[in-house]
Amino acid sequence: MNNIFSNIFSGLRLKTKITLGVTVMLVFCGLGIGLILSAMSSAALLEEGRKRGMALTSGLAFRMAEPILAVDFLQMKNLIDNVHNQYDDVVYVFLTDAADNILSHTFSGGFPVDLLGVNLDGQKAQPLLLSTEAGLIYDFNAQVILGERNLGTVRLGLSRQEMDAQVRRQKQISLLSTLAIVGIGIMLALWFAHTVTFRLNRLRRSAEAMIEGNLDVQAGFPLEKNCWDIMACDRNECPAYKDTKQRCWHLPGTLCPDCSGLEHPHKMQSCRRCPVYRTNFGDEVQELAEAFDVMAITVKAHIEELTAREKTIARQQGLLKTIMNVTPDFITLQDRDLRYQFASKAFGDFLGLSEEDIVGKTDADLFSEHQADLNFHEDKQILITGQPLSKQIAVNRPEGRKTLHLIKIPVYDQDGGITGLLLTARDISILKKYQEQLIQSQKMEDLGRLAGGVAHEINTPLGIILGYTQLLMEEIKDENLTNDLKIIEKQTKVCRKIVADLLGFSRYSKSAIETVDINASLQDVIKLVEHVFFLNHIKIFSNFDENIPSLTGDIERLKQVWLNLLNNAADAIGQEGAIYVQSKLCAHRQRVLVSIADTGKGIKEEHLNKIFDPFFTTKQVGKGTGLGLSVSFGIIQEHGGSISALSPPPREYLPDDFPASVDFGPGDFGPGDFGPGTVFIIELPLEPTMESGRAPQ
Amino acid sequence: MTKRHSEKPAGIICGMILLAAVFLSACGETEEAITISLEKREEIAFTLQVPALTYAYLPQYSHTESFQRHHRLVEYLAEQTGLSIRQVFPDTFDDHIHMFGQGKIDISYSNPFVYVKLANRFGARAMTRIIEEDGRAEFRGQIIARKDNREIKDISDCRGKSWVAVDPSSAGGYLFPLGHFVDHGIHLEDFREVVFSGGRQENVILGVYAGLHDIGTIREGSLSVVEDKIDIDQIRIIDNTRWYPGWVYAYSPRLSQEAAGQIRDAMLALDPENNPRHREILDAARFIGFVPSDDRDFDPVRELSAKVGLDLE
Repeated sequence: MNNIFSNIFSGLRLKTKITLGVTVMLVFCGLGIGLILSAMSSAALLEEGRKRGMALTSGLAFRMAEPILAVDFLQMKNLIDNVHNQYDDVVYVFLTDAADNILSHTFSGGFPVDLLGVNLDGQKAQPLLLSTEAGLIYDFNAQVILGERNLGTVRLGLSRQEMDAQVRRQKQISLLSTLAIVGIGIMLALWFAHTVTFRLNRLRRSAEAMIEGNLDVQAGFPLEKNCWDIMACDRNECPAYKDTKQRCWHLPGTLCPDCSGLEHPHKMQSCRRCPVYRTNFGDEVQELAEAFDVMAITVKAHIEELTAREKTIARQQGLLKTIMNVTPDFITLQDRDLRYQFASKAFGDFLGLSEEDIVGKTDADLFSEHQADLNFHEDKQILITGQPLSKQIAVNRPEGRKTLHLIKIPVYDQDGGITGLLLTARDISILKKYQEQLIQSQKMEDLGRLAGGVAHEINTPLGIILGYTQLLMEEIKDENLTNDLKIIEKQTKVCRKIVADLLGFSRYSKSAIETVDINASLQDVIKLVEHVFFLNHIKIFSNFDENIPSLTGDIERLKQVWLNLLNNAADAIGQEGAIYVQSKLCAHRQRVLVSIADTGKGIKEEHLNKIFDPFFTTKQVGKGTGLGLSVSFGIIQEHGGSISALSPPPREYLPDDFPASVDFGPGDFGPGDFGPGTVFIIELPLEPTMESGRAPQ
Repeated sequence: MTKRHSEKPAGIICGMILLAAVFLSACGETEEAITISLEKREEIAFTLQVPALTYAYLPQYSHTESFQRHHRLVEYLAEQTGLSIRQVFPDTFDDHIHMFGQGKIDISYSNPFVYVKLANRFGARAMTRIIEEDGRAEFRGQIIARKDNREIKDISDCRGKSWVAVDPSSAGGYLFPLGHFVDHGIHLEDFREVVFSGGRQENVILGVYAGLHDIGTIREGSLSVVEDKIDIDQIRIIDNTRWYPGWVYAYSPRLSQEAAGQIRDAMLALDPENNPRHREILDAARFIGFVPSDDRDFDPVRELSAKVGLDLE
């Protein structure tokens, strides 16, 4: 039951509660005080009635002495009747002498004898309440005393009805007055509740507005007179000047003479004496509202500051995230339990997972059991010793073998304790490749120098062998011997060709420097081989950049390169295929780019690094010497350029319709007949950086 | 918890106020009444008083004053003589005289003038005279005026003035002063007016004191009666009359000589000097004793009456 009332009460509005509370208090107090006062006044009225009755009786007794002494019955009767007739509530009066003889009375038709049996002793407390047929009657007994002699007794009956009527009237008036006062009190309570709750509601609305995010609220009422009006101040630089929202005593740095430069609440001591404070300070609700306004402004300022900081942090976070996501390096952060706290996008891509999938997991969740175990011991070692780790690892990936350079360093907190592990790993496969190429280049250079030296040394004895063989052939007529000598001569010439090629590879030959039209040289060579290739159903497409200026170089040697490359392409195709020759000016790099792509069987990846090695060949025995690409490499290098091969060729080195071009000849072959193909890319500088060639010593 | 703490005292206070109010409001209603009937009526006759000798004091004062002065003496006389004696209260001097004549008064205490009338008319017989508080068995009248009345310096100035006297039958309050005026050549018709105060000495003094009358006549000693009512220093005594025999106890010729003798003896037996009760009786009666008396003592009064032309028959 109590809970029901409590729930109902707590659900009421404050205004209703105040009104209800005050009403209940007023009703209780009003009823209480009204009842007490009514009881007191009723008692007083009855007492007054009793006193009046006693006064009437005593007065009568006083006046009765003379007629009793004079035995003047007429006067006795007159006196008694006078009182009896004068007052309506006097029911009866009678007079007895000292011997209780009835001298006079107001009854007609006999005397009620019961009266002679009650209230005989005038010394007892008066009056005596009698209950009669005529209602309640107060019976008063007053003795007629003269000196010490009792001459008789006056008895007077006073009806209680009149007194009771008066008491009732008084109670009605009391009740009506109480109700009127309670009514006025309730009106006042309503007004009071409205006054209080109006301001509280204003405060509540401000609080709700704040909850909805509107901090530009004002719960306090605007002042009639602001501080600059009261102080007759016009100091614009004062923070309180023209600020109608905040009270000056809440603001720091106000410029009043008594402010003493303190901040709230330390300045309050001086503010309390200030006329502004005395004029404008309000009750607790107003103070609360004003404090609320100050709070709203402060919160707003703080939120704006926080928002600005948040934006900065978000921007920096975005920046950091972008960097982390864009960087090709793997970056991860693990805690002491080796759970991932952060993983860069590259790492996620490497594992084929998103960052969310990685964070919170350990290596055991991401890697194979063996790898995870390896990492665990390695990581624990770092966490225990604090020693960073740097190493290279090779990883087999679908796209090929990758080499990663991996660094693991411990992360320290402010107290110097290790809180985690930072891993960075970089794919250095390209670097590795370049490194290997560099080594290969170096090797080639050394090999070229060695081969050149050897060839130079062999060239002279070969010349002598050939010379003497030819001399012998002229001198010996024996046909068998001559045939043998011819075989020697032929094989010697083969050797001299090999030596000449070796010298060409090692540039131990002379170069003819002249102006070269690259496109013309290419066209010359194409014309030379076109027909032969056509017989093998190999078609040559070309696309020459007309803007290519002339170069300085050895045209014949360059043609040799073009021929070597075209022959290699035809060899790779065998029967039915296409070759696409393209020249292009790379103006910003000041280079000419020549690419020769084919639809041949392609070059295996593992062979790509070796194709420029001398004597490396995949052709059948007797089909090639393995020196063609080596010589081409040497020639291009001699011209300050570079040569490289890609298999299969990227699209940018092929025309859009290659190899399904209609020009190719319908029905000759379909796309499925081609191999992966290869493209050789030659870059030649426009500037004459061609080496002059190292002539043999 | 806080809510409960704050609600409890308020609720208790309200409850206590209401409880106290209910209790207090109930207090006045607990008067118990005795039930009687006013319907049971009976005619009640006055119980006849036992026959007794009647004693009356000439009503120069109010009945209550008379009663208070004499009821002890009446009780003493009844006690001493074994007779049943009751004090009665005539309203006026005439009443006193008539009641005596009708036999309603057996023992009369009156001034000598009334006594002479009673003796002449109804055969009253003097038995004792009182001794006044000044030790004399005579008394005299006094002529008074307001002290600030400059027009009246001596008795001759009373001519043409307004005179208030006690009663036409009053000795000290009328006859003695009238004789005194006649002796000084001032007769009744020489006064502007002569009014009577209804037999009350006090009324004469109060009439002069109030300025209603220029002069008043009282018996000597009356001023002390009103000294607690007015400032008697404002009253000046213009003159005193000659001494006349004082107040007298007379008995009705219907009373037996024996009873009269018992009463006289009892009066004369009062010994205020040695008996405190006797002194108390006499103090209340405002005299100090009795002397035997007979009718001849009052001849000077008869002479005075003749002088002023009053009919004593």
